[in-house]
Amino acid sequence: MKLVIKVMGVGGGARENALAEAISRSNREVKIYWVSELRNPGIYRLVKSTGGEYALAKTTNARKVAEIAAKWNVDLVVIGPEEPNFHGVPDEVENKGIPCIGAKKSVSILEMSKAEMRRIQWKFNIPGKLLFKTYKSYLDAIEDLKRFSDTLTWLQNVALKPARQAGGKGVKVVEDVQAYLHREKSEFKERHIKWLEEYMGKYSDVEEKILVEEKVWGPEYTLQCFVDGRTVIGMPLVQDNKHAYEFDIGPETGGMGSYTGRGMLLPFITMEEYERSLEIVKSMVYAVQKVTGEKYKGFIAGQMMLTEIEGPTLIEMYSRLGDPEAVNVLALLETDIIDIFEAIIDERLSKIKIKFSDKATVVKALAPKGYPDFKSIAKGHEVYVDEKLIGKFGCKLYWGSIHLQDDGKMITGGSRMLEILAVDDDPAKASERIDECLKHNPVKFLDGWSYFYRSDIGSAEMIKRRTAIAERVRRLYKYREERGILGKRIDWLPKIGKIDPVSLLLKELGGE
Amino acid sequence: MPGIIGIYPFGLNRENWRISRFVYYGLLALQHRGQEISSIATFGGEFKEITQKGLVDEVFNEDRLKQLDGFIGLGYVSPLENSKPIKVSSPVELILVGDGIPLLGESRDKAWKAFAELLSDEISRVKNALKAGVNVIEQVDGGYSFIALTENQEMIAGRDKHGVKPLEVGSLGFDLGAIASETSALDVLGMEHASYIKPGEVVKFDPYSIERARAKSAAQSSYCSFEYVYLARPDSIINGIPVYAVRERIGEALARKFPVEADTVIGVPETAIPFAIGYSRAAGMKLDLGFITTGRKIRTAIKPSVFERIVGVQLKLNPIKSVIDGKDIVLIDDSVVRGTTLRNTVWNLKRRGARRIHVRIGSPPLKSPCPFGVEIPPPDELIGRALSEAEIAEIVGADTFHFLPLKDLISSIRLPRNSLCLRCWGETRD
Repeated sequence: MKLVIKVMGVGGGARENALAEAISRSNREVKIYWVSELRNPGIYRLVKSTGGEYALAKTTNARKVAEIAAKWNVDLVVIGPEEPNFHGVPDEVENKGIPCIGAKKSVSILEMSKAEMRRIQWKFNIPGKLLFKTYKSYLDAIEDLKRFSDTLTWLQNVALKPARQAGGKGVKVVEDVQAYLHREKSEFKERHIKWLEEYMGKYSDVEEKILVEEKVWGPEYTLQCFVDGRTVIGMPLVQDNKHAYEFDIGPETGGMGSYTGRGMLLPFITMEEYERSLEIVKSMVYAVQKVTGEKYKGFIAGQMMLTEIEGPTLIEMYSRLGDPEAVNVLALLETDIIDIFEAIIDERLSKIKIKFSDKATVVKALAPKGYPDFKSIAKGHEVYVDEKLIGKFGCKLYWGSIHLQDDGKMITGGSRMLEILAVDDDPAKASERIDECLKHNPVKFLDGWSYFYRSDIGSAEMIKRRTAIAERVRRLYKYREERGILGKRIDWLPKIGKIDPVSLLLKELGGE
Repeated sequence: MPGIIGIYPFGLNRENWRISRFVYYGLLALQHRGQEISSIATFGGEFKEITQKGLVDEVFNEDRLKQLDGFIGLGYVSPLENSKPIKVSSPVELILVGDGIPLLGESRDKAWKAFAELLSDEISRVKNALKAGVNVIEQVDGGYSFIALTENQEMIAGRDKHGVKPLEVGSLGFDLGAIASETSALDVLGMEHASYIKPGEVVKFDPYSIERARAKSAAQSSYCSFEYVYLARPDSIINGIPVYAVRERIGEALARKFPVEADTVIGVPETAIPFAIGYSRAAGMKLDLGFITTGRKIRTAIKPSVFERIVGVQLKLNPIKSVIDGKDIVLIDDSVVRGTTLRNTVWNLKRRGARRIHVRIGSPPLKSPCPFGVEIPPPDELIGRALSEAEIAEIVGADTFHFLPLKDLISSIRLPRNSLCLRCWGETRD
């Protein structure tokens, strides 16, 4: 065993700050090195205190990142965000003979292409599927969706997504049930599809631009896992909250806050559902390894939803930890993360015991006004943070999209700028503690700009609401389960007759 | 008791929404709160407003909805002739719709005007619409809810310190947020119901955030109990309590308290039907449809004139002869104001062949007018205040007559006594 271990991290958000902090908690003697696009003040401090180094570089430039790792002669590299995975940073790092905790380019397809992820899932018949269609141009998509009454039922209630992972942007869910509002909603859908087409134009690495998926409803949760190419180990469930504002209103964000319950579960998800979800994620890992012939090493996460059709259902996958979900689970992690990293490298995850403490956590993200849809007005503001005050409330601060300039000023990058964590016996208590802390104004903009956060995340009222929905969904899917019709869909079109959309989809997939 | 709604789009391309049709359907689901005036206002760079006497679907057609081409919308239905949304042009231009009465002036109209002006002044003074809303609520007592839309694209909604009047919050997808008097409006728009605004709480929507804050002096809630008896639609959830369930429990309580031998139980449409269902279940008595309505759904109790109320009742209550002929009937109504319409109904049933009629009322006797704008006549016009149950039975021509005791109303609502406004039943707060 090496005396001093040199670890290099990649990425500059609050998730990476949490990773750096977990690494710094190691019982081993570590030196922390980091590469990111903005200089994260929290990570920078950890780097300095362990005697490591910090470099600013484009984290999607695989060769550059690998060169830096080689130059610093680090023992291992850990990747935070998804884009470095998509661009093959782990591949290049390993080419230099340095082990990397991060999904390689080929296997990160599970996240990069939502369409490919879904195809793999259908091909390997892994539970928790959704009907989907992809389009190369918006004109085709509009044509399909325009037909209101003579189209398949599921196409009337859809989620429109960019077919490629695009920073969690661009998702629209338009439930078109009220015939009297059909015109307004379909006009909006059309306009949005056109916008998506333009937005996706900047990504040239996928051919399919637009993904249309059946709209489902139910409580969402994230299951994050460690993977070593053989074994998949699940972490405590976390619920992230995607709507920008209070009451679950407003545009989709990367996540405005998240919470965990106790005992690995959320208050509204059962152990059986946890195990089924883990089975789904495992199967996806094995499937993508089979398809690509490459080992999956690093983190993976299933963004899950309990649905009436099948119970635990896969909505999307992350080839990394979630942000802010990483902050929740890493705060609970009791096992030395360096031991886990080494076990991943040596493919012996099954041999070690990974422990999480039995507490509830809440994380709330603070974002400058303008985030998520108007980032140009959200960036460039100077921030002042009173960390002592935050500590006084027993809360912990993680730095996100903030750049520490050479002159010591801290400037917003336009995305979620800070995440605040509280650990307590139940989520409601932790949530209240963060609110109480923020009421004392520990965070200020020096130019008069303002930020927002969600007071309702982890609150008793929110959990009550989620629980009510979970119970409704559970009744429905359990009924299907009893009757042996989990996952079955059946439709009827006038003049055409009975249609099984699943077999239609399978036929299409097989015919490719 | 007007119905109010505000709908607000968020995110990229938010200006693309044409919101007036959403407001229109939302108002249709609030129509029961006011049938004299219908109004929609939108903002899309400038305010546009159409307010007229008439029902929502009489006032608005395709052309008018098109004229209202903004992307943020406010809606208002009112039982009061001549009432309308309040406009203030300076210092901060805004338009405001309100339910209830802020205690600010001798008349309701003046009070709301003063309230809107105060809000405008306060926004201009403190340069923060959320804070301004809170300050105004701190200063102004009363029982009210409001939604205001400013020239700066801020939508501010709030409830008085006691939360007398309802206000519920919902959302549609990643796009729309809405605030409305009742969840019926959110349901009709296909929205998710998120929560209710708390007593003394202000919620502000702006293009980049939603913020909420509560008045420091926000007090123990004093939710209007009449909402549960009569005002709200039975498919609404008010302050977290489903209205239909309350009305069913009220019927059950009536059956337990005042049992009587009869052939069938009939509810006066439409409000009293859930009471009758609860009564029938608890008493093990057959439930029948007793009346069929002619024309539109009309809420007789809130029509402005006596004549209109009687016409309303007569049109609304055509008895089904085969149900009542030769039968002993338990007749359930929601409330009794002057007793005129009830007398008319009992007489009508008897003329069509009913034998005995046992009247049960799903609320206690009305004793005083509502200081917060529910249309209850002056005390000397309230039969429940003037006469005993036996006397009322005699006057309306019923064989027996009973009001729901106050304590059963409270236990049916399932909120603590001190969290309800019970003034109209003669209970004052200390």
